[in-house]
Amino acid sequence: MSTINFAAREINCKIVYYGPGMSGKTTNLKHVFSKVPDHLRGEMISLATEDERTLFFDFLPLDLGSVQGFKTRFHLYTVPGQVFYNASRKLILRGVDGIVFVADSAPNRLRANAESMRNLRENLLEHGLDIKTIPMILQVNKRDLPDALPMEMIRAVIDPKNELMMTEASAHEGRGVFETLKAVSKMVLERLSQPT
Amino acid sequence: MIEPSLALYGETFDKVEQHLDELLAATGVRYCLLVDRKGFVLSHKEALWAPRPPALDSVATLVAGNAAATGALANMLGESTFSEQIHQGEKGVLYVESVGDNALLTLIFDSSVPLGRVKVYAKKTIAVVAGLLKTLQDVPAVSFDQSFSQSASALLDDLLG
Repeated sequence: MSTINFAAREINCKIVYYGPGMSGKTTNLKHVFSKVPDHLRGEMISLATEDERTLFFDFLPLDLGSVQGFKTRFHLYTVPGQVFYNASRKLILRGVDGIVFVADSAPNRLRANAESMRNLRENLLEHGLDIKTIPMILQVNKRDLPDALPMEMIRAVIDPKNELMMTEASAHEGRGVFETLKAVSKMVLERLSQPT
Repeated sequence: MIEPSLALYGETFDKVEQHLDELLAATGVRYCLLVDRKGFVLSHKEALWAPRPPALDSVATLVAGNAAATGALANMLGESTFSEQIHQGEKGVLYVESVGDNALLTLIFDSSVPLGRVKVYAKKTIAVVAGLLKTLQDVPAVSFDQSFSQSASALLDDLLG
């Protein structure tokens, strides 16, 4: 890890991948980790169980470079998706700047998607945050499943008012991973240049 | 609402660095980090004699995650927070203490360093640094213009294709 130079100002943004268990949050991060050149990323940390289910969080620091003299860096986190890990899930949302909601396309996970979104709203509210004020992207993952549900059907359940930007992905093949990350990063950075 | 992390720079940054240096010299610890509660490194110092530190981003994230988790435990037990934590290993010690509401002081040192001395000096440093961090909150927020997000977008295009 190179030394961090604080002579210049830094911008740090926290992006959290949220979603139901096994929807592909960690897979997203692993793909980013494997494709971004070494000097722009730090080490990936996974606090996972033996069968590779996320227990607390995954973490990946990503350097964007310097924007107008501001060193800009993203910290990517995933949450554990399983319902009973809500206490730790809530902790990771602290101070979040942008969210990627990773939804599962499998028919038997439709309900899990909806429950996870409701859980996200509740957890944000406990941090005093309104879901509408945080940059958020809906990534519909596992599009390669043979019985994948139509995108619009999934959206109708998670985002009935059509408020979120939606991306299509197949994270284990790497499809849609960078598009999603880029879109949410742009939203977060645009937020910074808007007077509040 | 976007919650910006503490931005530590300029004069305040220099002062904080100086206090951390003094702490390092007075106690004989290996590494000294100031981390915010979101897991970002605000400042760090290492003793000249110490070997290369482990990945600091990782340390900061895990310390902040740990502090958040024990904080939740504290709440369950009717405390507002556990302000001080000591993790003792066979060879080394990790010492974490809150600096105000937003930051954590993290010290990593060998078992041969007396814990009592570290505590005494750490508390002194924390009192001063907490005051410095407080002054940061009154500084007006940095504002960005449209060209900022344009150049940021260009960088994103480079990085993510």
